[in-house]
Formats: sequence, structure tokens, C-alpha cells
Amino acid sequence: MNYNPITALVLFFGISLLLFFVFRPKKGVFFFFKNLYRQKDKTIIEDILKFLYHNQESNNSITTNALTNALHFSNTLIIESLNKMIDRDLIFLEKDSYKLTPKGSEYALQIIRAHRLWEKYLSEKTGLKKTEWHERAEQKEHELNTSEINKLSSLLGNPIYDPHGDPIPTSKGKIALKKGIPLSSLKENTMGRIIHIEDEPKIIYKQILAENIHLYSTIKVIENNTTRIVFHAEGEQFILAPIVAGNITVSVLHKEEIHEENIARLSSLQLHKKAIIVGLSKECRGENRRRLLDLGFVKGAKIEIDLLNPLGDPKAYLIKGTAIALRKDQAAKILIKKCDDGK
Amino acid sequence: MMENKTKTACETCTHFNADGLKKLGVKTEDFDFILALAGNPNTGKSTVFNALTGLRQHTGNWPGKTVTRAEGAYVYNNQKYKLVDLPGTYSLLSTSEDEEVARDFILFGKPTVTIIVVDASRLERNLNLVLQILEITGKAVLCLNLMDEADRNNIKIDTRILAKDLGIPVVPTSARFQKGIPELIQTISELANGKIQCKPHRIKNIPKNIEKSVNELSETIEKEFPNISNSRWIAFRLLEGDTQIIEALKSGKFVSNEY
Amino acid sequence: MNTKNIENIIALAEDLRWQIGDDFHDNLAESIYTDAAKIVEDSVTKDNQKSKFRLDAKIDKIVTSRIWGFPIMLLILSVVLWLTIVGANYPSSMLSALLLDTVHPFLKNLGTNIGFPWWLNGFLFDGVYLAVAWVIAVMLPPMAIFFPLFTLLEDFGYLPRVAFNMDSLFKKSGAHGKQALTMSMGFGCNAAGVVATRIIDSPRERLIAIITNNFSLCNGRWPTQILLATLFIGAVVPQSLSSFASLTAVIGIAVLGIFFMFFFSWGLSKTLLKGEISTFNLELPPYRPPVFWKTIYTSLIDRTLIVLWRAIVFAAPAGAVIWLISNISIGNESIAAWSIHALDGFGFLLGLNGVILVAYIVAIPANEIVIPTILMLTVMVTGIHAGAGDGVLFELNSVTATADILKAGGWTLLTAVNVMLFSLLHNPCSTTIYTIYKETNSLKWTLVATILPIITGFIVTFLIAQIWRILV
Repeated sequence: MNYNPITALVLFFGISLLLFFVFRPKKGVFFFFKNLYRQKDKTIIEDILKFLYHNQESNNSITTNALTNALHFSNTLIIESLNKMIDRDLIFLEKDSYKLTPKGSEYALQIIRAHRLWEKYLSEKTGLKKTEWHERAEQKEHELNTSEINKLSSLLGNPIYDPHGDPIPTSKGKIALKKGIPLSSLKENTMGRIIHIEDEPKIIYKQILAENIHLYSTIKVIENNTTRIVFHAEGEQFILAPIVAGNITVSVLHKEEIHEENIARLSSLQLHKKAIIVGLSKECRGENRRRLLDLGFVKGAKIEIDLLNPLGDPKAYLIKGTAIALRKDQAAKILIKKCDDGK
Repeated sequence: MMENKTKTACETCTHFNADGLKKLGVKTEDFDFILALAGNPNTGKSTVFNALTGLRQHTGNWPGKTVTRAEGAYVYNNQKYKLVDLPGTYSLLSTSEDEEVARDFILFGKPTVTIIVVDASRLERNLNLVLQILEITGKAVLCLNLMDEADRNNIKIDTRILAKDLGIPVVPTSARFQKGIPELIQTISELANGKIQCKPHRIKNIPKNIEKSVNELSETIEKEFPNISNSRWIAFRLLEGDTQIIEALKSGKFVSNEY
Repeated sequence: MNTKNIENIIALAEDLRWQIGDDFHDNLAESIYTDAAKIVEDSVTKDNQKSKFRLDAKIDKIVTSRIWGFPIMLLILSVVLWLTIVGANYPSSMLSALLLDTVHPFLKNLGTNIGFPWWLNGFLFDGVYLAVAWVIAVMLPPMAIFFPLFTLLEDFGYLPRVAFNMDSLFKKSGAHGKQALTMSMGFGCNAAGVVATRIIDSPRERLIAIITNNFSLCNGRWPTQILLATLFIGAVVPQSLSSFASLTAVIGIAVLGIFFMFFFSWGLSKTLLKGEISTFNLELPPYRPPVFWKTIYTSLIDRTLIVLWRAIVFAAPAGAVIWLISNISIGNESIAAWSIHALDGFGFLLGLNGVILVAYIVAIPANEIVIPTILMLTVMVTGIHAGAGDGVLFELNSVTATADILKAGGWTLLTAVNVMLFSLLHNPCSTTIYTIYKETNSLKWTLVATILPIITGFIVTFLIAQIWRILV
């Protein structure tokens, strides 16, 4: 047959490249058009509301400029939307600064409710990674209507907190209060409990995740200066830069509340040592958590390593008479109290 | 078969009538009683099933072998028993597919007797499922299987105390060696014909505030469904937010559910 | 029943849920285990010194040790595969002597004697019967050896240890350690491998295992690989090295399959399947001496015969189709010849030819009949003298004669290499596709599992063909 294999190859790679540019995740032409068809003005209005809500405590004045800088929409679209919102009595202007009306703040709370419920849903009922929750919820929050949100909430058992520790507003707009300070301002030798891990900006969030810091763990600050913050939690030592630590919120614990000494993660248990399970970390969620409980990884259960793995992971643990293998990331979410030798 | 009989704490088992037993394999139509076979994975549940029905379903040394339901039958003393082998599960509290199959059958399939097969050498772990099943149905018998392994591991079980604590008859077996099966058949027959009364164990040790909620809810349920015996378990499920149970309530599946 | 009351119950439940918070499941699980511990304390006494059976612990130490763990695994897998391939030879040739060389002519004679018209005789005995007989003869013996061996290991309790050892390799590609076993099972039969994925209790990892199982070179494809490697690859190296070269080629293909399996497991877990729930736990049950004969019996009934039955159900219509397209003509060409010519161009682009593509389309029920179909179709379009007529599958005992037919059909070394690759990378057989549908209950995943390997096959053979033509 008369053809040139080089032409064939070139054609092939040409088509592959084309397909790549069309369907490239997020940046591809396909997604560009898909985004174009989404309800633009609703999204903008809701994003502006959220932005105003999150900034209303900071006392910064939110000018048109501030908004156009913060949101990724064209300036004309934003200005148009702002006018519409004033017409609809969602916001008002006060000395160049936009403020939420009661109606606007109620609306904003419902968006936040949708966002946090969806994150909760993703964390409980899907296998998506933590880093994907926020972005998906950013889209989904504009798509859910009130009855869908309420259904979602009851499906999840009307949760009070989202997976990052943020309170979820109720359908009536009530929101649990959170008192906490950034980890970066926790003094040396004081103890606290992590109550919130901020998922934005993504770069910092990813760093926190890489450290395997767990929500609701009790921490003790060892060192706190301008270059680094060192703290102990669940038997491990963590070192963070102040800017990263600033994205973790802790509630300060007083001496009376502290009874969680000597707690460690199961992943740190050594061969031939025995331990007692204290509980599962809140980071162990959904189906995984239920499975582990069903298998007997409950408070008070005795546990020890049964078998090591030739490749290091997973390890088999002897619990309630059975050898069950768990991977390291799972074992890190089971908290234990190591038994003293001889006991 | 009778020579192999193990010592048993079940006093009624001496009356086993070997001539009255006929294994029927898969011929399951026109039965008098329906039996559910539940248990943890890897407890020899399928072996018990095979020993009762004469079938030869494959039994792997693997957790979770039977995913679909297997059915078989046998005749004992002129009464026909249909036996349904449920998927092996650790619990009935999660929402995986096999747990749903098992739970729905015990709940809605109205088995006359539920046979709970447990691994005698790992009793504590197995009791998790047993205690859950006893919240759903009171007519159950505990088949304490793999007694040979328990012996090998120097584990001794006082079946009388166990039966008293659980409130249901307990039959020790080694199904692989056909031991204890006659006693099991006899006990099932007595349960099915109402000769043994059970007083199933109820889960205790629940934190006070939760216990209060459970009681409040189960009382409300009982008001609506006076014939129901497992209102407490339904309350558990509702508090867990089990959408299937909510649907079942709405569609009236529980009304026909009388024990 | 009162709907309003029920609404009230549900509303009350939701209200109470809000009050007791989201720790309900934890609390309930803990309560149940506390009760369980109390009951056990009452009724169980055990000698703690000897509580773990010592022999079990010793075996475990060895089979999961750094030094011995992997060699033992490889050794066992090789022994199982070797026993299967070598052990199946004898019964296979006996079965084919019986079913193909004795019963087939007998049936044809019978048909002629009763007075069947030639087309009915051909359709029934050359078409339907021959395909079914072929599948039984080639498929039954290896499966009847492979599955019982596998089942014995399973019943003994060794396989969970393999999953334990291999898990961290599979974890890297987002899969479950138990996939090592479903993959090995796939070396016997992909349909059985797909059924075996039931042991994986995590939804995402199970789907991965199902979709990628086809990359395990199954029993039906080993003979194709061995034949082509011997005919073409063994022939390009010096005589003394030929068997070594062809063996390396076959193993290379199988290893390539494992590579693709890992690659697609990784890809799927990062893209299509990332939203599926993923959990992990692996129970290591105690060792139990298998009840030998019972195991053999049940694994024959449970696995071998079920898979064989499905294959037969699909092979019968395929045999009919193969015979029909070779014997029904449109204009002055049979349908087979016509589609071969239609696909020749595309086939050439992939370094294959029309015959091969048509053979892979009509032989979708079982990889076992691909080579006979290729031979029959080649003879038909080239018009050389061999075989027993249009639509009648055949195979030759003589290796050189087979090579001659293929070379007459225009085969080169490139064709052989690409057929070997295509045999690894094409859609699963219809039995497997059907099984995937039964197991997943989803058209979507069945489609993905079917299309993924064949697209890969097209791309790989295409690239190889172009590069080959540029270089050679």
C-alpha cells in the first residue's frame, strides 16, 4: 500500500494533541464552553455575597475595587451584578464600602450551608481526596436549591460541623459559634485542640495535609518563634512555618480539661508492644470509620502487631483474636495508649 | 453420624431422630419453615449450610465468599425447612451491599428461625453481629462453630452461661467434621415449633443521653406499630439516618412484619 | 398505618439525631463490643500462653518474610502455571482427537445419511458443533487443572498472605492487594478473575480490578502467544537460541500485560473512579488444612463448569456466524471475504490485516478459536489447499505447515509481533464482558472495560507498525 508511515505518525500525534487541548481538565476548550453555559449571574451574585459575609468581621472596607480584585470575573459583570444586588435589597453601600443587608446575609448563610454540607457529603459518601472537596463544593453550592439542601442535610444526619471543623448554618440561619485562635499565636507550653483547618489557599492546605495533622487532635506547643512553630500531637512532633500554622485554628485548653496524655497513633506502635485503643481520630470518616468500628477497633480494645510486611506496609494487627491488616495512613488515624512494659 | 456427636449443653438434643432427616439440596418449594443462616465471614457458615442441606457450595478460606444468597432445604420429622445462606458480614450497621442483603432478609424475609454461625475461637468479635441480630429477631440459635479450632487454641466455652447471657439456645459444632449438626437440627426444630422460648439479649452499656433518645423514639414507634418486636432496633437505624429504613417505614413494609 | 404519624416519627428521629450529635454510630459500636466483652468474660476461659496457634505463626513468619515471601509466591505461581500448561496438553489432545477428529466426521456422515441438505449439515456440524467442541477441547483441561489448584491454595489460607505481601505495590497504583489474586486468577480465565473480585470489599478498588483484569493474559491466549512466538520470533534468531527467544517473547507479553494493568489501575483511580468510595482492610484468616477431594469437586462445579458453560453458550452462535459469513455470498464474494477486504486497509495501518481483524470480531466468544479462524479465513481468501472447506475451523499439527499458510496470507515478523500484542490488548471475550455486566450491574463500566483495552491495542499496534516501517 502506498502511504508514508511518517505522515501517519504525524497525523496521529496531531489528533492526540488536538484532543488533549479540547478535553484538558479545567483548561480545555470543552470545559471552557461548559463553564460558559453555567448560570453566570447567579454564581457571581452568590460569590459576592459569600465574600462580603466572610469579610464583614474584618472591618475592612469592601470597595468595588476590592471585589474586582478578589473575584475571577470580568469587571463589567461584577459591576452589573452589584447594581442588581442593590436593587434586590441584598446589599447596600456605606461610604464606598458594600455591606450585607439582613436579607443578603441570610442568603449568604444558605450558600455557605450548601457549600459546607456538600463538603461533608463528599467526605462521607465518596472517595474523593480532601484537596478536591473545596473546589467541587464551590461549584455545587450554586446548583443546589433549598429543598435539595435540606434533603442533603437530613441524609447526612443534620451535621453541625463540616469536615474542616467549620460550623454548618442551619436552614433557619443559625450557626454554631467557634471560639479559637490561630495556632501561630498559641504560646509555648500551652495546650490546645485543633478545631479548624482552613482549606484555602490550596498551596498551604496541601502542606498541612502532607504533614498529616489531624482535626480535633490535642496539641502542645513546644517552640513558637518567627521562623517556626513546633508542637506535639498524638505522640508525633510537627514543625510548621508560622504562615502555615496561621491557617490552623485551635481552642486553648486549660489544665483541668487535659486528660489525653500519652496518646499516640497506632502507626507508631512497635512489634511485641501492646496498646489499648483510645478511639478513632475524626479524620477517619464515612465508610472507613464504620468498617473499622465493625471490625472491633473500638475504645478499650487491646491491640498489638501480629505481622510485619516484607515491603513495610500494610501491617497486620491482632485485635479481638483476629489478624487484620491496615495501611499506614489508616493506622495513623487510630489513637492508642501504649501499655507499659510488663503489663 | 450419631457416633461423632460432641458433648453438648443443649439438654433437648438427645432426642435427635436420625431417620426423620432428609437432605433435599436445592428443592426448596413448599416449605413449612424458613431459616436464615447468618454469621461473620470465614466462620464456616457455608460449611454449616452444606452440612444441613447436603449441597456442596464452595467454601473458601476467605472473608466474604458468598455474595449472593444461596438457598437449600431439608426435611426433618416431616416438616420441610428452607434454608437461606446470607452473605457473611461483620455487622449490620454499615451500608455495604452484602450487609443490606443480610439485614433485609432477617428483617423482611421473616425467617422462622435465624441460625447465627460464629467462630468459637473468636467469640468476642463475632458477638458484635450476634447482638445486632438479636435486636432484630428473638427466634435465633447460636451455632458455635469451629469448636475444633477453639480446642486447638485451648479455648473453653461454657455454653450454658453463654446461652443464658444471650437468651437463645447455643449449639457447639464442628461442621467440617459433621459434629454437632444433629443437635443443631433438633434445636432448630424445637425453636420452630415453639418448644423453646427465647429471651434475647438487649444491648446495654449505651451512654445515658443516647439511651434516652432511643427509648423515646422506640416508644413512639411502638405506638404506631404495636405488633413490632424490634422497635428498638428501628430506633437505632433511624438515629443513624438509615434512608432505607425510613423508606420502609413510609411504604408500610413494617406493618406486615409480625413476630 | 397513618402517614402523618410516620412523618412524626421521622421528624422526631431527626430532631433526636441533632441532639445526640454525630457520634451515635461510634457509641453504639462501642456499647455492643462492651456487652460482647462482658459476655465473653462470663463464659470463655482461655489459656493465654498458647492462644495463638504456634504453627500458624511460624508459617506466617516464613511466607511474609523479607527474604522468603516473594520467592515463595513466585515459585507457587510458576508451579501452578507450569502444571496447567504442561498438564493440560495430554487431555487436550485427547479431547480434540475425540471431539474434532472422531465425533465431527461421524456427525457429518450421520447428517448426510439422514439426508440433511449440505447447508444444514454445514451449519450445524461445521459451524455450531465445531466451535463448541473446539472451545471445550482447548478450554476445559487447563481450567480443570488451574482452578482446583488455585482453590486449594485459597482454602488453605495462603492467598490472603499474598494479598498482604503485595498490597503496597498495588496501593501505589490505587488498587487493593487482593487484586494480585484476581489478576493471577485472570491468567487462568478473565471471566473467573472478574468473579473473584468479589473478595475486594472496597467499591473503587473492586471496579479497578474488574476493568483491568483483561490485561492478564488468559489461558485462551497463551497458546496463541506460544504458537506465534515459536513460528516467527524463534525463527529470526539462531537455532540454538530459538526456544529461549520465543519463551522470552511470551513472558515479555505477559509482563507487558501486568505493566498495563498497573498503569490503567493508576489512571482509573486518578480519573474515572476517583469519586468511588475506597476502604481497606484485610483479614488474615487462620490456616486450615483443605479437604482435598471436596475442594477439587466444588471448584470444578463452581468455577470450571460455570465458566465453561458460559463459553459454550456464546461459542455456539459464534460458530454459526463463522460458518454463515464464509458461506453466504453477496454478489460473487462471501460476507467474510467482503469484510476482510473492507478491513484490510485499517488492518494494514495497524500492522495486521483484514483476516486478523475479522477473526477477532467473529471469535469474540473465546480467544481459543482465534487461530483456527485466522487459518480458515486465510485459506479461504488465498485459495491455497488446506483445511476442510469454507467456514470449517481447523488447526494443523505441523508447525511449518501453519507458518506456510500464514506467510501465504502475507504475514511478516511485524504481523506476528502485532498479533501477539493485539491478542493481549483487545476487548475481553464475550463471556468476560457478560460476566463484567453481571458483576457491576452497570452498562457504563462494562463499556469502559470493553473499550479501554481495544483502544490501547489499536494505539500500540499502530505505533509499532509505523516505527517498524520507518526503521526496517
